[in-house]
This record gives sequence, C-alpha cells and structure tokens, in this order.
Amino acid sequence: MIKKNSTGKVPPRLSSGKDRETSFQSIWSGTISFSLVAIPVQLVKAVEPGRVSFRMLHGTDFSPLLRRMYCPEEGKIVGQDEIIRGFETAPGRYIVITDEELESVSPQRSRTIEIVRFTDINEIDRVCYNHPYYLVPARGGEKAYSLLSEIMRRTGKAGIARFVLGEREYLVAIKSTGGVLNLITLHYSEEILSDGELAPEADAIDAGEKARIKKTIRKMTTDFAPGKYSDRRRGKIVTFLKKKLKEKAAVEAPEALEEEAVGPADLMAALQESMSRVKKIH
Amino acid sequence: MSRRIVGIAGKRLVLSNLEKELYPAYGFTKAAMLEYYESMADYILPHLGNRALTLKRYPDGVEGDFFFEKRCPSYRPEWVKTADIPQGSGERMRVCLVNNAETLAWAANLASLELHVPLNRAVTPETSDSVVFDLDPGSPADIIDCGRVALILRELLADLGLSSYVKTSGKKGLHVYVALNSPDVSFDHTKKFSKAVAIVMQRNYPGLVTARMSKGYRNAKVFINWSQNDSSKTMICIYSLRAAEKPYVSFPLEWKELKRLTGRRDPEKFQVLPAEAVRRVAKYGDLFRDLLSIKQRLPHL
Repeated sequence: MIKKNSTGKVPPRLSSGKDRETSFQSIWSGTISFSLVAIPVQLVKAVEPGRVSFRMLHGTDFSPLLRRMYCPEEGKIVGQDEIIRGFETAPGRYIVITDEELESVSPQRSRTIEIVRFTDINEIDRVCYNHPYYLVPARGGEKAYSLLSEIMRRTGKAGIARFVLGEREYLVAIKSTGGVLNLITLHYSEEILSDGELAPEADAIDAGEKARIKKTIRKMTTDFAPGKYSDRRRGKIVTFLKKKLKEKAAVEAPEALEEEAVGPADLMAALQESMSRVKKIH
Repeated sequence: MSRRIVGIAGKRLVLSNLEKELYPAYGFTKAAMLEYYESMADYILPHLGNRALTLKRYPDGVEGDFFFEKRCPSYRPEWVKTADIPQGSGERMRVCLVNNAETLAWAANLASLELHVPLNRAVTPETSDSVVFDLDPGSPADIIDCGRVALILRELLADLGLSSYVKTSGKKGLHVYVALNSPDVSFDHTKKFSKAVAIVMQRNYPGLVTARMSKGYRNAKVFINWSQNDSSKTMICIYSLRAAEKPYVSFPLEWKELKRLTGRRDPEKFQVLPAEAVRRVAKYGDLFRDLLSIKQRLPHL
C-alpha cells in the first residue's frame, strides 16, 4: 500500500489554529457527518500535477494566444453570446440544451459529506479510484477528526459518501492514512469497463516454468519507495529551461491593449481617416 | 551658510543655503535657482495657479537624494494658499497652491527644483483642462524621434480641428498639449481620446511609435504615454527646472522651431538653460498662454 508520507510530497501540516488555514488553499469547507457525528473540515489538494505547461505565443511578437470558437461554415470567429450547447443524436442532428436546463439537473450545492456506509478498504477496487484529496479539520473539529481517523485506521474501514463539488456529485471514499483523512473520488460503476474478455484462456502450465517465474518475482520484490522514481522528462525540461534562462533573457509579451478598450469605433475611424490624409501629405 | 531675508509682496521670507551648488557639474547655485524662479514668476504662475503642487525636493542638489512631497508641509507660512483635495482612499489631503510669487519663492527655497502639477485644478478634481501626449523615447530613440512624432501628431490633431502646443520635458522627451478648458471634460474622455490617438499612431508608424508602456516595446521607439491623462498623475510644469546634470528647463517651442530642430539632428539644441529661458520669455512672451484659455472640443466623445 502506498504511504502518502513517503512520496516526498509534504502533506498539509496538521498543526492547530490559524497558520494551517494560510499554509494551503482550501477547495471546499463543510462537515463530514454520519449518524449524530458532524466534523467541520476543509478539503485540500493531495496532488499537484508536475506537468511543465507551456503558453502558446504568437511567434512574431510573443503575444500569448487565445483559443476562440471558429465557425467553419461562415469562416469566422463566433462570439460568446452566439454559442449554445447541443447533444449529437445522429451525425449532424442535435438536441439543443440551454444553460437553465442543465442547471435544473445539476445537484444542489451542499455543505456536508454525508457518510452513508462504511466498508473494508480492500472492498473498493483500486480501478475505481479517481482523484485524491486531503481532508483537514477546521477549527473546533480537531478532536473528533483525530478520533474518527484513528478508529478508521485501526479497523481498516473506508466511509462511502456522496459529495457535491462544483457542478457535479461524486461518489467518494474517505479513508485514514497516517492520521490524515483522505477523500478519494470514485468512478461510478457504469464508467468502469469490464476486463472480462481480456484474460487469455488458461493453458496447462509447466511446473518448472511456474517455479522460475515465482523465484524471479521474489528476487525482485522490495518495498515500494515512490520517492525513488521521478518524472524524468519533467526533470530534463526543468534543467533545460533553467539553462536557457541563464543564457538568454526571457522575451517579453506586449502589454495587453484589449481590443474592446481601444476606443469608441467612430473615434477610431475618424482618427484613421485623418491619419490617412496626414500621411498622404507627408 | 548664507541667509537672506527678503520681502516679496509684503511677505517676509528667509532664504537659506544660498551658495549651495544644486547642480555641481554645471555650477548652478541655490541663489541662481531662486533668481531664475523669481524672474520667471509672471510666466510660470498662471500654469501653477490653483493646482495641487507636488514638490520634488533635492536638499543636497541633483546628485543627492530627492523626495516627493504632495502634502503641503505643516511648517508653511500662513500666507501659503492650500486646498483639501480628495484622494483615492476617500480621505482628503491638504496641498499647496502656488498662486503668487511669494509661494513660488518659498517652494523654491525648499530646494524643490522640479514643480509638478496635475492637469486639473484643485476645485475641479475630475475636469482635465487639456489633453497631454507625453512623448518618451526608448533608447536609442531620442528627442529628435520625439520631434518627428510630435510633428505628425500635430498634423493629425489639426486634421481633427484641434490646435496643439509643444514643450520640451527638460529631459529626453517632448510634451504635446491640446487645450480644452471645458468643465464637462473628464479624465475619462481625455484618456480615451489620447489612448485612441496613441494606438492609431502606433498602427500607422509601427517602427517609430508605441502605445505600450512595457520597456521591451519602447526599445528604439517613442512611447506615447497616454496614461498621463489621469487625475492621479502630474506633469512637470512648463518653465520648471529639471534635475539633471545641467539645469534644463521644460520650455515651449514654436512648431516651426521644432521642425527646424528636428531637421538639425542635434539633441542638445532642443534644450533650454535658465538664462536663455529668461531671455526668450522676455522677447516672445509665454507661448503656452493660450493653453489656459482656448476652448476646444474632442471629436466623437
């Protein structure tokens, strides 16, 4: 089992009081509840993807570029106010869905993570694990939080809950690792693809071969130390970027002169007209 | 250090440190600086009057440290006129109004070499009396490039029916002004107008002009700083000295004079020293006088 504390990432500190609130950013705050228990908590990130991301720039003046919706039919960029949603029922056929309609089926925002079941951690197939978060106690919840995480750790149980974050309702597992409660969003069962067809039919296996593979695996077995593995491509990119920055200063983007703020259209037109006359004379 | 007690308009003022070399490399003393402002009082006062003065003080001369003072010092003589002006925070600030020769002498005696004032009068904080185009050359562009931009700008403004005035900044740039003098023209209008002009100039003269503030884009171009058209900004007052090696003055130029200077390609020739400034105003008067009175309307605003 992966221990979060050995990944090299620093989990949020579980000190008390104010400094905790400022040491990381809370994504959501509310209470974990079940039966008569209610523990105030905050949800924080458990992973920070290490991907080095790049901005797309205009090669001629280093302006950062924007993505725009393009209508191939009219050959032009479509404004925000002309964009609607459609569900494709057949090639070229759509059902139009309005924002209001979508809103009406979205879950109500909620301030609670209601645990509805406890289950053995091992009951949850790891293929269902989607995205991990940490839960940290909010002010006044420290004692109950410690108690719950301690009992869950000892009993090897995970709490199953429904949880609304943003526009969506997630099925989540809450488990305890090293005194910290983790919240893991789970894939719904209908999202999981069957692996039923993937396993080849079992042939009779030679006993000697079986023993040899067993032995090799045993020889290669160690504890999993995630800190030993790092994203090698990322490391190379970072080194490369540092080197480039030393050799050559960064290029500068032009200051944003937002198009809509350029000026009233007739003023701009009048100025350009005058400008053209002035240029002709010069 | 020497002191001199003077009476100006019946007001008594103690002038101090008169021998101090405020421009050591040029040998320009505090006495010379006080004398300059005294000689120029009639010409500079109309441009300072009723506007919140920002003092830029050089107690140890141009090679020493300086500081800005917007708040009128509490130790001011009781005859210094002040105004309480609103600040962004909603609080009010007491500022000096240089409305007479004695206040000018007092401010100069504080080693306030540079006199900065906003485009609005203290009583009308939102009204911009003029539009300014602050032409600021990004090296290696220089004042000659500013001259070229100013001449085009003048033609453009003239085509829109607007007359304009130009002065040296006393440093590396030029300032082009358009008189408005209408109580209903706000900084919103002047900023919108000046920004649009700057952008159109940039579009048509991309190798010469930029409307963008960031340093990388000013490289070898003249930055038309339209953002000076703001109630929070000040401009160096015409006829004010500048703090540099030599005591150059921010001085008005006739357009034909600017054209001649731009053709001659010698940046130094643009600059005006105090003695020449005194001589020229005596001969030609205040070339910026009408900036304070003629009424013009900005088109399409």
